[in-house]
This record gives sequence, C-alpha cells and structure tokens, in this order.
Amino acid sequence: MRVSLNLIKKYVDLPSDLTDEQIAYDMTLRTVEVEKVEKVADKFHDIVVGKILEVKQHPNADRLKICLTDIGEECPVQIVCGGSNLYEGEYVVVSKPGAEVVWHGEGEPVKVEKVKMRGESSYGMICAASEVYLNDFFPAHCETEIVDLKGIDCKPGEAIASLIDMNDTVLEIDNKSLSNRPDLWGHYGIARELSAIYNAPLRKLEKFNLEPNLPKYNVEIKEMQKCNRYVAVEIDGIYEKESPMWMKSLLVKAGQRPINAIVDITNYVMMAVGQPLHAFDKTHVNGEKIIVRNARENEELLLLDNNTLNLTKDDLVISDENDAMALAGIRGGKKDSILPDTTGIVLEVANFSAGTIRKTGKRFAEKTDASIRYEKGIDTQRVDDGVNLALNLIKELFPESTIIKYADIYPNPTQNSVIELTQDFLDVRLGKKIPTQKIEQILKSLGYDLTYDNNKYNIIVPTWRSTGDVSLKDDVMGDIARILSFDSFEPKPINVSMYNSVIQNNFLLDKRIREYLAFRCGFYEIYTYPWIEEKFIKASKIDLKNALKLATPPAPDLAYLRKSLIPGMLEAISKNLRYYDNFKLFESKQVYEKGDYRPSSDDEILPIQSNYLTGCIVGKDAKGIFYELKGIIENMPRYCHMEDLSWEQGEKPSWADNNAYLNIMKDNVNIGSLGLVSIQVMQEAKIKRTNVALFEINFDKLKAYDSRTNKYERLPELPLVEKDLSILVDKNVGWSSIVNDIKHLVKEVEFVDEYNGNQIPEGKKSVTLKIRMINEGTTMTSEQITEKINNILNILKEKCGAELRVE
Amino acid sequence: MKENLEKIKVEGLESINNAKDLNEIENLRKSLMGKKSKLSEILKSMGTLPSDEKKAIGILTTEIKTLFEDQLKEKEEQLIASMSVLDEPIDLSIPGKKVSEGALHPITQMRYDLNEAFLSLGFEIYSEDDISSEKYAFDNLNFAKDHPARQSMDTYWIEGTEEKEGAERICLRPHLTGGSVRYLLKHGAPARFVYPGGAFRNETTDARHERAFYQYEALIVDKNISFSSGMVMIQTILEKVFGRKINTRMREGFFPFTEPGYEIDMECLVCGGKGCKVCNHNGWIEVMPGGVIHPNVLKSAGLDPEEWTGFYINIGLDRLVMMRYGVDDVRLFHSADLRFLKQFK
Repeated sequence: MRVSLNLIKKYVDLPSDLTDEQIAYDMTLRTVEVEKVEKVADKFHDIVVGKILEVKQHPNADRLKICLTDIGEECPVQIVCGGSNLYEGEYVVVSKPGAEVVWHGEGEPVKVEKVKMRGESSYGMICAASEVYLNDFFPAHCETEIVDLKGIDCKPGEAIASLIDMNDTVLEIDNKSLSNRPDLWGHYGIARELSAIYNAPLRKLEKFNLEPNLPKYNVEIKEMQKCNRYVAVEIDGIYEKESPMWMKSLLVKAGQRPINAIVDITNYVMMAVGQPLHAFDKTHVNGEKIIVRNARENEELLLLDNNTLNLTKDDLVISDENDAMALAGIRGGKKDSILPDTTGIVLEVANFSAGTIRKTGKRFAEKTDASIRYEKGIDTQRVDDGVNLALNLIKELFPESTIIKYADIYPNPTQNSVIELTQDFLDVRLGKKIPTQKIEQILKSLGYDLTYDNNKYNIIVPTWRSTGDVSLKDDVMGDIARILSFDSFEPKPINVSMYNSVIQNNFLLDKRIREYLAFRCGFYEIYTYPWIEEKFIKASKIDLKNALKLATPPAPDLAYLRKSLIPGMLEAISKNLRYYDNFKLFESKQVYEKGDYRPSSDDEILPIQSNYLTGCIVGKDAKGIFYELKGIIENMPRYCHMEDLSWEQGEKPSWADNNAYLNIMKDNVNIGSLGLVSIQVMQEAKIKRTNVALFEINFDKLKAYDSRTNKYERLPELPLVEKDLSILVDKNVGWSSIVNDIKHLVKEVEFVDEYNGNQIPEGKKSVTLKIRMINEGTTMTSEQITEKINNILNILKEKCGAELRVE
Repeated sequence: MKENLEKIKVEGLESINNAKDLNEIENLRKSLMGKKSKLSEILKSMGTLPSDEKKAIGILTTEIKTLFEDQLKEKEEQLIASMSVLDEPIDLSIPGKKVSEGALHPITQMRYDLNEAFLSLGFEIYSEDDISSEKYAFDNLNFAKDHPARQSMDTYWIEGTEEKEGAERICLRPHLTGGSVRYLLKHGAPARFVYPGGAFRNETTDARHERAFYQYEALIVDKNISFSSGMVMIQTILEKVFGRKINTRMREGFFPFTEPGYEIDMECLVCGGKGCKVCNHNGWIEVMPGGVIHPNVLKSAGLDPEEWTGFYINIGLDRLVMMRYGVDDVRLFHSADLRFLKQFK
C-alpha cells in the first residue's frame, strides 16, 4: 500500500522535527514494514512550465519546429520540438538539461542534455505526457501530442512537481505485513498509529449533516448473514467530469488512476478511510430498488468490456429488480458505470462479511482493492466514515448536487470486544513495569476505551480492531509492547535449571557418524531433494510399491518421494563425474513409505519415516573401493561409539553387482547393505568409465553406547610373538573360514594381503596372515613357537587344504 | 721426553680439530688414548726414569689425556649438532602431504554450531519427521481455516490426501513450528528445546527462493517469563555464528501462532548497515521471526495459557549460511555439486 504523508498530516499533527525516514523507521519497528520511502517530486526535477513565445519551422526538418520558450529564466530559450499541437502562447512542460525523461514513455529514464538537432540548438525538450509521468494528469489524444497546460493556473518556470501537488513523500508498505490489520488499509488508520507512536493528537473525521426526513431508498437485504450493513444514497446533479488536481494527485500517489470525479471520489474515500464504496448510475437501477441477494443458478454478470462473469449460488450480488449489477464487495458490472449521459447516482456504502468475499474471491485470480479490504474483515461502523467523507466530497466537487433519497439497513453491527487485563499479567509478560498512566495513554491513542480499577484494566476494544484482530488480553499486551517498541525492553537472562542437564545419545551419534565420514574418511556431505527424478528411481531398480507421491509436484517427473537415498546419490554421482574422477559422498536424511505410524495421537496416521544414511566411493579400482568402503563401515562402531555391526550375504540389493554385495546386520537383523553398483544400474544412471561402491543403512537401528564401554586390559609383561605366514589355498577358500579355524589357538590373527601373481598355481591364491602369540607367564621358547606354527599349519592343511608357500 | 709429549699434544689436537665425522672421532679416541697410543707407550716406557721426573711426566700425560678427552667430546658434540637426517637438502617449497579431504555440508555445520550454543543454555534437541498433517502443521497453530498457506499452491500435500482435512491431510511440513505442539504434548512444560530440520514449500525457485530449505527453531515454555528473554537467545545465536556481536533490531511481525509476534533484523554484514543491494538499501536483513507463543497454540498442546507462556524464534539456516560465507544462490545447497561443497572445510 502506498501512503501519502501529506494526507497523513491532514489527520495527525506530527512533531515538526521528524524526518520522513524516521517516520518510516518508527513505523517499521512498531506497526508495519515500510519497504521504501519515495520522495515523489524527485523524478520531476528540472521539469518546469514553459510558455511558447514563437513557433518557427525547422529549416532542415519538415516535422520539427523551433520554439522560443519562456521558462522563467532571464532570457527565453530555443527548443526544437516535433509536437503536433504547438502554438504561440501555449503553456507546455519543459524538461531542462539535467532532467530525466522516459523516451516515448518506454524503458529507463534518460538524462536530457543541451543538443543540436539537425543543426539547430535545443535547450532541453518540450514533453509529451508519457515522457514525464504525466499520463494520469494530461492523457494524450495522439502520439505526437505534447502536454498543453491550457486552463491551468501556472506561470513559466514553475516546477511541474508543485503544479501537480507532488511535493510529497510516499511510504510504500509491505502488504503482507498489513494482512492482519484491516484497520490500516486507509490513511486514517495509519495516521492513528502514528498518533499513538508519537503521542500526537489525531483529528476527528468531519461529519456530514444529512437532512432529516429524507425519503427512503428501497433496499432489500435477502442474505442478512452476508451483508452486515447497506447504505444507499440517491444523488442528483452528478455528471461526468474530471476531478480537481489535488484529488488526482493523491490518487496517483496512492497508485490509482484518476478516471472521473465520481469514480475518483469513491477511490479517494477508500484510500483515505479504508471503506470501499460504489456508485451506480441511477437510471441503470431498474425499479429504483437495490436487492442484496445470492446469485441465481447460471446467472451472469455483464462487465463493462461486454465480457460476462459466471456466478454460482454462493456468490452475493447487488441487483436491481431484474439483473445483477455488481458482484458484492468485489467488482462492478456494466450497469454501474458512470457515462457521459449520467445525471444522478446511487451511492453504495456497505459492509459484507469477510468469509463471503473470501470464498467468492478465491475463484477469481485477481484481487480488487475492495475485495482485499473486505476479506480482512472491516467494522460496520466504518460505513459512517465512508458516507461522511463521500458526501462532503460530493458537495465540494458538485456544489449543485442534491440528495434525494437515503437508506441505512443495518442488520449486524460490529460488536466491541471486551477484555480484562491485570497489571500483574502485564508486569510479568512484558518483563518490565510500565506505569498505568503510560498504558492508558497508549491504549487510548489506539482507540481503546478503558478504565483502571483495583489492579485491573477493563478494556473496550475499538470496533475497527474487533473483527478478529484483537480478542485476547495477549493481543492488548502485544499492542502495548510494540508501541513502546520491542527494542525498548532490556534483554533478560534466562535461568538454567541444573536438574535438566541434557545428554542425547542419538543426536551425538548422528554428529559422530557425520564427522567420522567427513573428517576421518574424506567424504563430502550432500543434500538432495526429497522428491526424486523418476529416471534415477528406475535406474536403481528400487520398486515403487508403497512409495508416496506429491499431489502437486515441482515437476511431473518429480512426483515420487524417496523410499531410499540411493537414487538421489546416483544422480549426485553422475553430475559430479563431469568434474571429478575419484570422490566420496554421503547423505543422511529421511526416507518415506506408506504405512501406519502414529507419533502423537491416534487420529493422525502418518507414513513410515526413517532416518537413513548412504555413502559412496567413486573410482576405477572396483575391488579397492569395495574393501575401502567395507573398512569404513567396519570401523564405524569403534570410532563412533556404537554397538557392533556384522556382515552376511543374504538378499541382494536391487542396485548391486551379483558378485559384490553384503548385508549389514545388527543383532541378526538386516539394517542395510553394501556393494558395488551393477553395470546395468550405472549405465541407466549415466555413470560412465568408473565404478561405485555404495552403502545404505537405517540410521534409526544404530545404537549409541551410553558411555565409552571398552574395558582396559593390563599391559602384557612379556612381548607378543609376531609371525607372518603366507599360505596357498584354493581360490574359493574364504578368509573367514581360515580365521575361524585357528583363531582359538592364538591371541590375534590379522589379514595382511591376498595375492594372485604368476608364481601362484592355477586355481590357487596366496594369503598372508599375521599371527600374534603369547604364553601365560613365561616367554615363548623358539621350540614352542615352531610347535605352535606347525600346529596351525596342520590344522589349516586339514581344514582348508592350505600349504605353506615357499618363497 | 717433554718435547715428545708436547709434539703428541699438538698433533693430537690438530687431528681432533680436523675430524670430519663420528667414525673419525671414535678412531681418534683409540689412536690417541687407547692401549696402543703414543701416550700409553710413553707411560709404559717411563719405568727407567727417575721418580721425580716420572711424576712430572705422569702429571703431564694425564693432563694431555684429559685435554684430548674434552676436545673429543666437544668436537663430537659439534659434529652431532651439525648433522642432518637427510643425505642431502630437500625442496622445502614442495607442498606437504594432504590429509584426507572431506567436509560437512555448510548447513549441517551451522546446525552443529547452533546446537552447541543452545546446549550450553540447557536446551534439548528434538526432531520431528519431515511428513506431518494439516492438524499439526496448521490447525494446532491457530492458522485460520481458509489461510492461503493451506492451499496446494503453497504446501506439498501427499497424493490421495489433498482433499481431506485435519489429521488425515498429509504434507511435507511447510515449517517446523508444528513440532512444538508435538513435543509439548509428549513432554509437557516447562520446556526448552530446539528443533532443526528441513521444510518444504511449493514455490517458484530463484537465487533467493528454494522449495526445500532449512530452519532452526527454538522454543521456551515456562511460567512467568517475558518475551524480552528471547532477546538473549537471539544475541547468543548471532554471536556464536558470526564470532562477534551483531547489531539487531526487533520489530512488529505477525504470525498466526504468536501474540505478539516480531521480526528480528540483523545489521547487513555486506555493507555494515549503510545500505546496499543485498539488504535492499536499508541496512537491515530479516533473519528470524519469533514471538510469544499464542494462547491457542498452548491450548492445542494441552497447556493452560493462564499458567504458561513462552516464545519462539525461528532461524532461516539457508539465509544465515549465505550471510556467513557470502553465498549468492540458495539453490547451490541442494546441488550436491562438489565444486561448491569442497569450499567448506
């Protein structure tokens, strides 16, 4: 909303030393966000009135004239102009060098300079309306027409800004911050806030004295719940004419286009007091009767441009005896138009229920100035402000007009909210004792009526705040706090209660795992969207059964929500392969699946949602990255202080290679998987010329230790004996069976490496293991060591056909 | 004999002085002072000399021996001090060996930083699931029945539930605030907790707007506290994040779930509050809304608003991280682009 400070100052006496910027700042802190402070005269700098003294043909150009023009300076100046309506004695708009104009009304403003046009010098330019933002004041009849100020009281050199009343500042207010304040959708409401902020007196709105005993205009409200009040005033002696400069100027500053005096009055009243109104040509109201009713089935509203609006039975219309003339509170139709043959009007000043307007308004994409106001809930008492101001303005602009008939049908007056508030409540919640006198002053300046008695405020909320905005004592407290300014309250320390120390192992585990992967193992953490491109779901072969879909997805192929983090990871890999060959990524997020999950109450059944963790290593050496990733999972429990995991080869994950996958087990439950990504999946996911090792694990199944739980072992008094053994076994003999056969004989068995070189016979492999042995109490003799090793070799020979490899 | 000894001393000291390495020192020790050394020979051959001369030569020999010992030791130390473990000098300008690369997402890092600040103030960390219902996302939070945020133009409803109502209408949560009632229903009051997480809104994206974004919300519920305590929280957070005191202002704001509500602006760090493009020329940047918890929300959480009160703050993590590093496009956070992620170490 655009607010003219000139108009505000008609309603409230602001302290004279206030800058406009300070007003904007104080309002932003206390009431609504001022997005911009616009000095509206700025764009008219160096644009003045000129009087053409002489018009000559340009010697070198048929369409150009040379005008000797008085612009209030010592000597007249010569200006070259192509206008089609130049004449001697004409008062025109001159942009002097330095002014900024918009060429032909299009694009960015350009600086005017002293130039030569076809050999003749030109001191600035004589302007068309669109070049200097004057369309609304002096609409052109053809393209080459320049502004003719005929009939306007002005003199050469006078600034155009003052001629059109633009020496003003406009505050641009963020409409979103006004959404809960229907009372602020007019200048008077803003003025009231400023009067509270600066404790400055607010002027009362002028009344209009209606003649008593006027004949009644015939109004019938059929829907009493939807129409809270309807005032109709029939006025004669109204005709189509332009409104005065000050009114046009205010409308332009407020963002409205002047049309004709009567339409301008209705808009002006809406901008000034926030009350929408409507004027019908009286001769268009068939039967001289207004009916407020629901639209009939299949009824249409004929619009000014001869299009029609289809109505439903829920829509409220303003109708004459025959047809709908307007969609109540939203927009008018052809029938309400003020035309050159208009001689009288019926003025509507009404109040419609917010719900009705919202419901109907929803069907139409564009909101109107009226519907924006009605749908927020305006008080019915504001109709009086609208009537008074409108009739005063009509009297001023149409002194010869007469009021013929009048009606005020008033089924549902807005009731004042009544609130009780104790001083103690305020003291505690505000955290600061505010003197009663100050509280009374603030509330009264906002229009509250109140008495203070026995530590208690009995408060009557003004009607303009009683339509939903203020209904609780907290709302009143909020008003006090904001007018004082939130910044005026000292920050208060928060007490920490010692009994409530917080240790949350699951959050600590989450942090330890992410930090382990990032800082110890060299992974980068990625974030992906919960909606997954279908291409990657298909590529990963994950079945879509039980997958959730969005009703209105960001794009048609982004409708599915992730059931697994793998497809998103595949997408991230394929994107990064454009820039990198070897990298490690991980992500920890939620995945979703249809199901029955009731986290809070029985009536709320949500899908199953689990926290998952996935990670990948990308690189050419398939075997290498597989074992690297396996090692990362195997070491995770130790470094992240959580319960152990184990491996099993059971069900193959859909994305994994046939020969390289494992299930991650915890307490004999499958909680995840690890594997190389299959060639087929990589192809479909556009992952080329590399390999990927992946894991995915259900984070919720991981269990953090409550504390560090490993036990201290006494340091051995005697040295451990270490021996490396290289053995030859059949290729299909697994490491786990080798370990299982001998681990009970020694203190530790460690895998060193596996070797398949030329020297190794066909079908065999060489495995090197490191054995650590110790005797209880005594040092091992070399005989004991040899005996033990032989024993081990015998067992390995027997159980898995192992031979000691001879170098 | 004296002259002989003098000669041994001079020659000995010279060879010690010329020694090049520890081996030579060791050899000299043997050749100058060992059993077969010239000094030993002199001592052996002393038998024939008169006793007073014997004594004088003895003293002199011992002196020379001691001198040799001291000189050898000194030379040895000199040599050790000048030794290097390297056979030859190395190129010191070659970069050192890299430690393993890797990083947390900058939003995760920010979240952890904030967790630390809040844990130190005795807050608990809570997390609600991504998918919630209209009841928790809107109804409980005092959103009007026809509030525009409930429409599918704003909120991502799950297919098949979009026409239902309340607990049966399921969505990707549009904000975190619904979690506040969930927590309070479960744990009651007093309460002091933070609940970070992702939120999702049906929006057109550009450099400043995202469909998926991260928030960090904190709530205190207690008896007899005032909203001005919220300011302490705000200052703690910003100081933690930016490592110094940040100017803030608190201004009027409106949210269905607060009364009063406020917006917290921080001084624009790009221009230092003078006004620039980033802050729309007013020197302030909106970073977190907050406010006193609305009585109707307390009622949804089963708490008596006469007894309890409290306040929220909600921090837009994306915006804060953008300010921290000067990131100019919010969509990079979900790009999974390593060229971006590698910058945060």
